[in-house]
Amino acid sequence: MTTYIVRRIGEGLLTLIALSFVVFGSVHLTGDPARFLLPISAEHDESVYEAQKAAYGLDKPFIVQYWNFLIKAVRLDFGQSFTARRPVQEILLERIPATVHLAIAGTVLAIGIGVPLGIISAVRRDTVLDKVCKIFAVFGMAAPQFWVAIMLIIVFAGYWGWLPAFGRGDMTGWFPSWSQIPNMLAHLVLPAFVLALAIIAAIMRLARSAMLEVLDSDYVKFAQVKGMSDRVVIWKHAARNALIPVITFGGISLAGLLNGSVVVEVVFAWPGVGLMLLEGVLSNNFPQVEGAIMVSGAAYILTALVVDILYGYADPRVRMN
Amino acid sequence: MAAETPALVLEERAPVSMAQRIKDARLPWVPIAILLIIIFCAAFANLVAPHDPRANDVRNKLQPPFASSEHVLGTDRLGKDMLSRLIFGARTMLQVTAPSMIVAILAGTIVGLVSGYSGRWADSVLMRITDAVLGFPSILVALLIVTYLGTGVWNVMIAIAATQWARFARMIRGEVLAIRDRDFVVLAQIYGVSPGMIVWRHLFPNVINTLMVLTSVSVGQVILLEASLSFLGLGLAPGDPAWGILVAEGREFLTQAWWIALFPGLVITVVVMAFNFFGDWLRDYLDPRLRRAG
Repeated sequence: MTTYIVRRIGEGLLTLIALSFVVFGSVHLTGDPARFLLPISAEHDESVYEAQKAAYGLDKPFIVQYWNFLIKAVRLDFGQSFTARRPVQEILLERIPATVHLAIAGTVLAIGIGVPLGIISAVRRDTVLDKVCKIFAVFGMAAPQFWVAIMLIIVFAGYWGWLPAFGRGDMTGWFPSWSQIPNMLAHLVLPAFVLALAIIAAIMRLARSAMLEVLDSDYVKFAQVKGMSDRVVIWKHAARNALIPVITFGGISLAGLLNGSVVVEVVFAWPGVGLMLLEGVLSNNFPQVEGAIMVSGAAYILTALVVDILYGYADPRVRMN
Repeated sequence: MAAETPALVLEERAPVSMAQRIKDARLPWVPIAILLIIIFCAAFANLVAPHDPRANDVRNKLQPPFASSEHVLGTDRLGKDMLSRLIFGARTMLQVTAPSMIVAILAGTIVGLVSGYSGRWADSVLMRITDAVLGFPSILVALLIVTYLGTGVWNVMIAIAATQWARFARMIRGEVLAIRDRDFVVLAQIYGVSPGMIVWRHLFPNVINTLMVLTSVSVGQVILLEASLSFLGLGLAPGDPAWGILVAEGREFLTQAWWIALFPGLVITVVVMAFNFFGDWLRDYLDPRLRRAG
């Protein structure tokens, strides 16, 4: 187990370093940041250019610059955002809670909806309910997130006016006060559902097939023969075993949700890291993009790492590989 | 024993007619029909579309759908005909996804073949890179690429290719590992056939099935990725007939003109569904291990 964990952490670190190298390297490949940052009035003034270069440490060798970048990245220090004129670190710290909230809500919805539906459609195989679930799964995997989001806004926010269409309400930071909770949840429902949709579909299919397999096993039949009620057999005997792979998948999709949220955050104007990333991309705001991508990437790698290690505990076959 | 005889019976049967074979294949007719319609629309967009997709007609702006025979699916804020824009959107979709898919497939196949057959350090290095690409959500990699190369169709195509090749490389490598020690490959080696020739004549033909299945399963994902990038404003210019852009434009008229966003998204969903169904069918059909289950 220790070897497995060490190896897995090593792999994670390697990917992280590769990511940082690509992020840092691409700035240098595609242009000279010092020249890009020159004010138009000083465009032909080489002394200003040199001073700028020195100020940003761009006159040092590549490897030294990369090392400095890494050291700063650990502290989330990515320099000043070009457009917001304040440290990227500050923006990140504001945005990270929003994205994490959304990802958690998305995962809760994905598992909370996907698992029961999958189990029920396995138990009620080939009934109308099973067919409806199947259609929902097919739709969920094919419909573009941005479109589903807009349609839901039209119906729930525009036509019925039940839910807010945009933003996070008056929420900021990590923890809401008691009075903020209803408002926060109302703002979370639509974006979290859209984020979860494709994963609900995948989890449903996974839970259904795992459940069908388990329902066919001897110990489930034995429990039935023993005269136990259907409810106990299904939820206590069968579901518990069927859900191990499903939960793992849920964990991995949490990692994906931390990033898959770019589109969702844009449509719902959700003030998270994904929206920050797109704002940066559209305005050539390199520090902001670097910060957002490094944070999302690191979060993704870390979550995947934790899930893999937990999975290694749950299923010894994984560690043997 | 009785269960294993059908294989023998099959050989004794008279040659099956083409019509019978098509019937036995249980082709997914609805998805195929949808895909054919889309391809037809893309190829003959100028003939099929009732209007010029870029022609403004401000007097008829924001017309609701099904109200006039002139604009069956309504018009947008500048009076552009929605149906025509959707039809030309099919062309745009194919123009962007097809070349990037081809590049991704070629690159992925080459990496997979080389990595699987050569083994050792080349395999380790290539697979580390592949895993790193696979390890990140496509949209993130695509955004990174578009940031540094700038927005535009070409860069979106590069971004799509750059994120999709890895899946092909991984799959193909796995297939190659499974067949590289089989007798016909070993005999070819003993006979002195060059490695390049072994890969091309002996390994490549054996991975074509996998390649076809993976392609048809991936197309849906690629269409969604392309649509998302267009929607985010990273691809074609606003006003161009791309499905993702149409939805983005509809976003500005949520309450006044729901149809601008509704129809393009519906088309994307239906097309992706059709590709997914077709891909599932092809996998079941080409993979004998799964065929009996279907």
